[in-house]
Amino acid sequence: MILFFFPAASLAQADRDKVELLRMNFIEKKLELTKNESEKFWPVYNEYNDKVKALRKNLRQSFKKAPENLNDKEAEDLHQLDLKTRQAEVDLHKTYSEKIKGIIGVKKLIRLRNAEEEFKREIINSIKEKSD
Amino acid sequence: MFLSAFFLFLHHTEAQESFDSLKVKTPKHYFKTIMVLDAYRKPNQEIPDTVNPLSKKLKSYGVNQFYFSLITPLATFERPTYDSTQPKKNTHLLLTANYMSLQPVFDGIKQHNLVKAGMGLRLIVNTGKKGLWFIDAAPFVTRDVTYSSSRHNVRLASTIVYSHNTSARFNWRIGITKSFMWGNRYYLPFIGVRFGRLDKTNLSIQFPRSMSLNIPVNQKLVLSIYTKPQGGMYNFSNHDSLTGGERTFHFTRYEINSGFRGDVRVNAWFNFYFALGLSTKNNITFYAEKTNKDRPNAPYRHFFYNQTLAPTGFFNAGLVFKFGNTKSYYKDKNMYDAMDLNNTMGTGDDNISNGNAQIPVDAKKLKKQDLNLRSVQDLVDYNDF
Repeated sequence: MILFFFPAASLAQADRDKVELLRMNFIEKKLELTKNESEKFWPVYNEYNDKVKALRKNLRQSFKKAPENLNDKEAEDLHQLDLKTRQAEVDLHKTYSEKIKGIIGVKKLIRLRNAEEEFKREIINSIKEKSD
Repeated sequence: MFLSAFFLFLHHTEAQESFDSLKVKTPKHYFKTIMVLDAYRKPNQEIPDTVNPLSKKLKSYGVNQFYFSLITPLATFERPTYDSTQPKKNTHLLLTANYMSLQPVFDGIKQHNLVKAGMGLRLIVNTGKKGLWFIDAAPFVTRDVTYSSSRHNVRLASTIVYSHNTSARFNWRIGITKSFMWGNRYYLPFIGVRFGRLDKTNLSIQFPRSMSLNIPVNQKLVLSIYTKPQGGMYNFSNHDSLTGGERTFHFTRYEINSGFRGDVRVNAWFNFYFALGLSTKNNITFYAEKTNKDRPNAPYRHFFYNQTLAPTGFFNAGLVFKFGNTKSYYKDKNMYDAMDLNNTMGTGDDNISNGNAQIPVDAKKLKKQDLNLRSVQDLVDYNDF
């Protein structure tokens, strides 16, 4: 009865949390953060991720909401939103990279990027396996 | 140092401007709005005392208790940190509300419904380093709603605790609490220690509130072995003439509940729990107002009835609803501790934990069923394939 009120979206949220948690575990393992670094790193990294996710969600929803037969103005607006979103992501990346570099140093910053990519590859491989 | 902070400030402003220009909504708070519905039952047992006329009149004692609580974030203050060498601090103001209906079952008299309701404020200050401050003020009203002529009392329960995270695996807390849950108005020291990470198996000893060993079985189920006091001071109508000269007197109870609890985390918005075990030190006491009036801030001393009954079983179950999107706090041990403080302290001095489901249980392995469009859409782009 209660589960009836909680649609599939809420179950997907739980899956998303799990994937996110696994990603953080993966990064934590790869970065080998000290206690001091860990204290400062996670709040900043979480903040960065929240902002990037919010940007992507906003863009996704705008494309989803757009009618199939767009007029020129609607298409232009969407195109501008796409560009601005990508620019905002780059700006965020630049700012937060500097912040994170200040916490963990440039070597670990590179390790962070590699860890993010490696985890992404794992996900892609799992998706490919799942679809096979 | 100054220059790097200045450039970071410039970068930050630039990034914030481009982010703000898109008017993207991000969550404001870290805490979800949490609503708890809790039911507690202890079977009737005979009062063995055959000498005291009040014992003879009351005959037996049991408890039916229903509890509702709400915690919602009102404001989150977060100072932007341009200088990344400084830790991120945040302060959280939350509103708490609670309603408890306690029905002490005495076979010899008519069923009474004792209500305790209140609304309070809670402040959690995360210093960003190792410490957190937890300040809770929970004023409440107690009244016997069975009879309209019964008087009400306004009381205040409060707690101030400093919580120190030596590491993610070890935490200690110290503070002071004014509480009624031990069956009287007490000012008690708050001393707590926790061994083990909050998202893994941990042993938490929080005097005077609880002691628990929490074992996450998987992401959906957390088992606990615990012991905690439960009780309070309630107004009781003297309609049954249990004492002379007063319309309302004070009924207090406390018991030590020890048992097993299972918390089932169904999804991001809902979890439920069930617990059963043994209720010991079952004490009930009746205090008259007149005889205790001269010491308004001290524990009540003069009672006209006191009885401690034999241990008995109890059953407790609850539904927990969680609303709202929140900011992320993965691996942030201070925020995990803030969640723990907020979730396990309960509201309104009722010592009812909502299950701590806002702290995600540490995930071990990626399973194929975890992967769906929604769970990976922010991580993987179609260009990545």
